[in-house]
Amino acid sequence: MRSAARALPLLALSVLLFSCGGGGGSSAPVYVDPVRYSSLAGSGLASAAELSSVTHHQIVVGGATLAYTATAGHLSAVNPATGRPEASFFYVAYTLDGASAATRPVTFFYNGGPGSASVWLHLGSFGPRRLVTGDPLTTAPTPFPLVDNAQSLLDTSDLVFVDAIGTGFSEAILPNTNSTFWGVDADAAAFRDFIVRYLAASGRQASPLFLFGESYGTTRSAVLANLLETAGVTIHGVVLQSSVLDYNANCGVATGPAVPCTGYLPTYGAIGAWYQLDVPNPPDAGLPAFVSQVEAFATSTYAPALAPYFASGTLPPPATITQLADYTGIGTGAWQANFNFDPASFQSGLVAGTLIGRYDARVSARNGTPLAADGDPSSTFITPSFTSAIGAYLSSELGFTTPSTYTVTSSAIQTWNFAHDGLALPDVIPDLASAFTLNPRLKVLSANGYYDLATPFLQTQGDLARLGVNPGVSLAFYRGGHMTYLDDAARALEKSDLVAFYALALGP
Amino acid sequence: MKPILRIRRPGAAALLLAWALLPASAPAADPVGAVAQEPLRDPWVPPAARLASNRTPTRGAALQAQVEAKLRRAFDAADVRHAGRLTRAQAQSGGLGFVAAHFEEIDQRREGAVGFEDVRRFLAARGAKPD
Repeated sequence: MRSAARALPLLALSVLLFSCGGGGGSSAPVYVDPVRYSSLAGSGLASAAELSSVTHHQIVVGGATLAYTATAGHLSAVNPATGRPEASFFYVAYTLDGASAATRPVTFFYNGGPGSASVWLHLGSFGPRRLVTGDPLTTAPTPFPLVDNAQSLLDTSDLVFVDAIGTGFSEAILPNTNSTFWGVDADAAAFRDFIVRYLAASGRQASPLFLFGESYGTTRSAVLANLLETAGVTIHGVVLQSSVLDYNANCGVATGPAVPCTGYLPTYGAIGAWYQLDVPNPPDAGLPAFVSQVEAFATSTYAPALAPYFASGTLPPPATITQLADYTGIGTGAWQANFNFDPASFQSGLVAGTLIGRYDARVSARNGTPLAADGDPSSTFITPSFTSAIGAYLSSELGFTTPSTYTVTSSAIQTWNFAHDGLALPDVIPDLASAFTLNPRLKVLSANGYYDLATPFLQTQGDLARLGVNPGVSLAFYRGGHMTYLDDAARALEKSDLVAFYALALGP
Repeated sequence: MKPILRIRRPGAAALLLAWALLPASAPAADPVGAVAQEPLRDPWVPPAARLASNRTPTRGAALQAQVEAKLRRAFDAADVRHAGRLTRAQAQSGGLGFVAAHFEEIDQRREGAVGFEDVRRFLAARGAKPD
């Protein structure tokens, strides 16, 4: 590996410092960013330089050796109305060496939260390096080792991982503060301005453009896709990794007199089957067919039965309750007591004395153990390794060093302005519909995990079905959790689906 | 009605971890160089902000009306002089790059300025065309 620091061409001000040394006894220069970035709501930078560390690497994907360049640093998003820099975004871009900018796709990756850095996608999914988590087991050695990623998407697209404002090393530029961008619309507009800046600064305006957001990142993607198309920036494809597209219809994030949990029922069914509590318990190979059966029951029987329950507390006939118990492993008494059965109750109620995971329900922990302490054993198990890996990776492999602390999760979610389009909680299906109206060639891939209790797949199917007959929308389902890609088998399947999706989106 | 193409419901690759409970690993030592101020709960909404709007999810004509309203707002935002019409330059500088990029196709009468109706007509005509 050799490394060099460089300033982008439009840079006027440089505060670049060099130091020699670094890992492996290399004498290559290492970029030291002296700025102390803050994730606090009221923080903002007085000014920001567009500097980055540039290093060269190679990995093997699908038997082919890929030589690539990693660029880790900052670009300033410019507010198009004022012409002023509004925020300094930290990003890591992986670009294939020798590719043609005109035809080589570029994909922007971000997690959600809101308030989450993009470290999960960066070090867990389709980047050139990934952490070995052993998902869904909790027996893998920790901290997880970082290895070359044989399923990297780098064979198909250049990859840019970008951190939201107030996460990673991204920070607002004064007079804005981080909290200026802690809302659905302001956040998406800033991401638009970052992408516009990245494409201009790196000469990629002709490159086919893709978005890859996860969880709240799918909410952001829908709003962002519409903002980019409106601004005249054409998108080829949007990958929705584990979606939340209408908060108002989702009993896991919204409350109200009649927010149904219907969208969770097939997920409960799949998880019940995993724990062998369904009656009869479907064979593993029959999971997709079983899930379809529960979907049909959810739509035709359970959803209609919720209406009288919401209106007057009236329960359906015992046969319906029995069927619910058989399909999910949750007993009839629990269904009678809580007929609109919510995912938090499912996490604690499926297996006595045990908490099952929210992100990956196949992961479980005994109540009172450390893994059960934060409400989601699957998240608690992986968080320390991802948190400790990112800083070391950036400095030792990508030559980006800083006195700052990389913020994995900020406090943004506590004060986030969820209002959008006249509703207090976002419904972004109209944004997606608008993006399709502006760009009828747009393609969307929705990736879903059978064992994900955070963004259940039937909920997402119902949201996307509002778009009507739309051949531009595809759905894929994997034996995995929220981060489907952490599962080795699911990641390989998702990679091949992504390659097919990119071919479709780039096709004639 | 299932308008959506399913790529795959993948075949078996069964991981037969029954549900024997595995010993919990000890949490790792304090992270170096990175910090999570809060546990990741995504998606999540603070309890005080959780009240859903009481409305039926839109589809069909109602959804299309929302799309049109969005475009209308973007058009009006670019139309800073409230003239009801935009030149290509005004569209570009007003953040409506989409209109600037398709200006010739939208400006059917070759007037050098377009109204919202012209944009609507263009989108409707293009949407109706087979791809």
